[in-house]
Amino acid sequence: MRCFYCERRCELKDGSYGRCRAYKEEDGKVVERFPHAWSSCGTSRIESVPLYHAYPGSRSLVIGTAGCNFDCRYCSNAFIAKEDPERWQGAMIRLEPRQLIGAALKLGCQNIVFDVNEPTLSLPSLAEVSVQARRAGLPMGCLTNAYATEEATELLAGVFSFFNISLKGLSDAFNREFIGIPSAAPVLRNIRRLAETSHVEVATPVIQSVNDDELDEIAGFIADIDPAIPWHVFRLLPEHQMKEARYPNIEAVDGALTAARKRLHYLYFHNFVGSDWVDTFCPDCGALAIERFSLGCGGDMLRRNLCGEGRCPACGRGIPLLAGPAGERRPA
Amino acid sequence: MSLAIIDAREWQRMFDLRTCDRAAQDGPVVRMVRRVLERHPFPGDLAELSNRWVTDVALEFIQEYDPRFIFLAYAQQYYRGRYSDMGPAERSRLLSAMAREVERFVERSGFSPVLVGTGDMTPRRGAIDVTRLDGLAVSTHWSARYAGLHAPSGRDLRDLAAEPGLDRIVPKSEWMALYDDWSQAHRVPDYLLVAKEGFTFTTLGQVHRHIAMVPAGSSRRIPVSTHLGRAADITDVRGIVEAGLAERRVALILVEGIGLAEFPWPHTAAANGRAWHFYEPGDGQYLTLASGRHRVFDYPTGYKYFDEIMEHKEFALSGYFTAIPEGTLGRAFPGRSVAVGNRSMFMHLVPGADISMECFARNLYNQGTMAVIHREEKF
Repeated sequence: MRCFYCERRCELKDGSYGRCRAYKEEDGKVVERFPHAWSSCGTSRIESVPLYHAYPGSRSLVIGTAGCNFDCRYCSNAFIAKEDPERWQGAMIRLEPRQLIGAALKLGCQNIVFDVNEPTLSLPSLAEVSVQARRAGLPMGCLTNAYATEEATELLAGVFSFFNISLKGLSDAFNREFIGIPSAAPVLRNIRRLAETSHVEVATPVIQSVNDDELDEIAGFIADIDPAIPWHVFRLLPEHQMKEARYPNIEAVDGALTAARKRLHYLYFHNFVGSDWVDTFCPDCGALAIERFSLGCGGDMLRRNLCGEGRCPACGRGIPLLAGPAGERRPA
Repeated sequence: MSLAIIDAREWQRMFDLRTCDRAAQDGPVVRMVRRVLERHPFPGDLAELSNRWVTDVALEFIQEYDPRFIFLAYAQQYYRGRYSDMGPAERSRLLSAMAREVERFVERSGFSPVLVGTGDMTPRRGAIDVTRLDGLAVSTHWSARYAGLHAPSGRDLRDLAAEPGLDRIVPKSEWMALYDDWSQAHRVPDYLLVAKEGFTFTTLGQVHRHIAMVPAGSSRRIPVSTHLGRAADITDVRGIVEAGLAERRVALILVEGIGLAEFPWPHTAAANGRAWHFYEPGDGQYLTLASGRHRVFDYPTGYKYFDEIMEHKEFALSGYFTAIPEGTLGRAFPGRSVAVGNRSMFMHLVPGADISMECFARNLYNQGTMAVIHREEKF
């Protein structure tokens, strides 16, 4: 039988586990191989994830498992995402959903974010966690590559209320050569779908001379859905097979974003220390609404949130933010 | 005001170190430091050239600033040893390369060295899982041998007592009494968990990486090599450096992840703690070396660091440090001083040098470099 979680739709038979090695066939069902086994269970500022418009300033319990369904040549988390999850099992933290929620509360976390690898690999466990999280009033979000099937995307939408979706590039050539998938079409489909009902931010890692020529087109795609979707353009620090690649030039990438800034209300350019482009400004009057400081990879922080009640402090225009214990959405 | 200059490769920004507000100062020291930053991109914590970067930057600062005291940290072999499985031949090659870089600095600079190894490493044997306790176990800042335990239940303490990898459970009061330091009692965990040699703790709050080697039990004593004096205790090192500075230029050089078993230079052994407690490579050990008194509790092992760093804090570029430490060697020294190392945060905080340069790396991700100028008036 074929796995239905991601668009690879791997054949699971004769003891094979598919590309991500996270699922197996058992009694005619697709079964998670390593349920409730977490590679990470730590605290983080939500801005570090990064999520800039969801619960600003909150403390997240950051969880992850192991393995991935992509094969990105520049992967930043190869030590865990590229590994066969079976190899990690000896080091995993085994927490049932109730224990995981207990951990979040003990650590003073206000939400839970899955962000180390791809949540599609662990959806059954995450679905169980979400039931307990809801009871405890802890909203759940994730980073995802959104290469899920339509069926799994509905599951993701049921588990998580906020997303940072990685849209790595548009062209088939780029996706084949650098990501190891034939096309980004399923990703685009799922961004549209998830943005209908959930809080969505989009992230794009920039590799100079590889995908920087697509920035305008990506901005156009996002703007077509909703120009108020926050877009994080990442200066990629190449790792894994591209470790020797040159770091993208910050001024050159900034220049390449000129047109995109006119189309999107909230464009952030970061993943390097001291970035000038991490604050939120009102799209109408230009007033500073949220001030942040970037410590680079995994280290952004809130400095000042001036959006009382989700409104621009100067003109009162709505700034889209998830806020409050129930995570009510405040569209602009 | 202390100035922090970030170099993210082909791009620099300057900030007030305390507030992280943008700064616009200019002057000969700022311009000189910017040039040094620009010329020396950091190769990465694990990269072969990482220790060479330390020597190159240090030699350039000697040429540009002419310090009398320099504090250096060579850490590449510590990171590689901690995170990479390697055989004896590879480790030997790694240590030889490190020694060559240290010797290159000493030969070219003419400084009198005080060389300190931060302690032996040993292969990791296993982990003690403390993630399912009623209380909260916290492991801080790369610590392997220790974890703090907050608000444990009776059941937690009974279960832990039966844990085969655990060496001891030390009540807070006993730990603080060992150093007669009660200043941080509000932050010190209720108990300190101490692992047996080779064991680490699996705790909540960590992002896990494969750990190959951890500090060895023989790190109770560390090697010190210098002709300037004899250190019987880690707290003696500062006095030796200061006495040397009265007559000559001195380099205090920390060589991370190397102890008595592998130290490549003639040395004597100095106590690296008290009784059952010894320092792992980290802030406490660095601060003790730089201040000449034990500094176990500035950021006590196992404290709830996340309660302090989550909200907007001052010194955001300084990791978990909440202030520039008092009482360090460089802050008291009237001559010019420089610190260089491939150990993030410590270089600009611990030695108290006028100028420092360090890698800006977090969890082994190479973000670039950071220089801090604490004092310009000596130039």
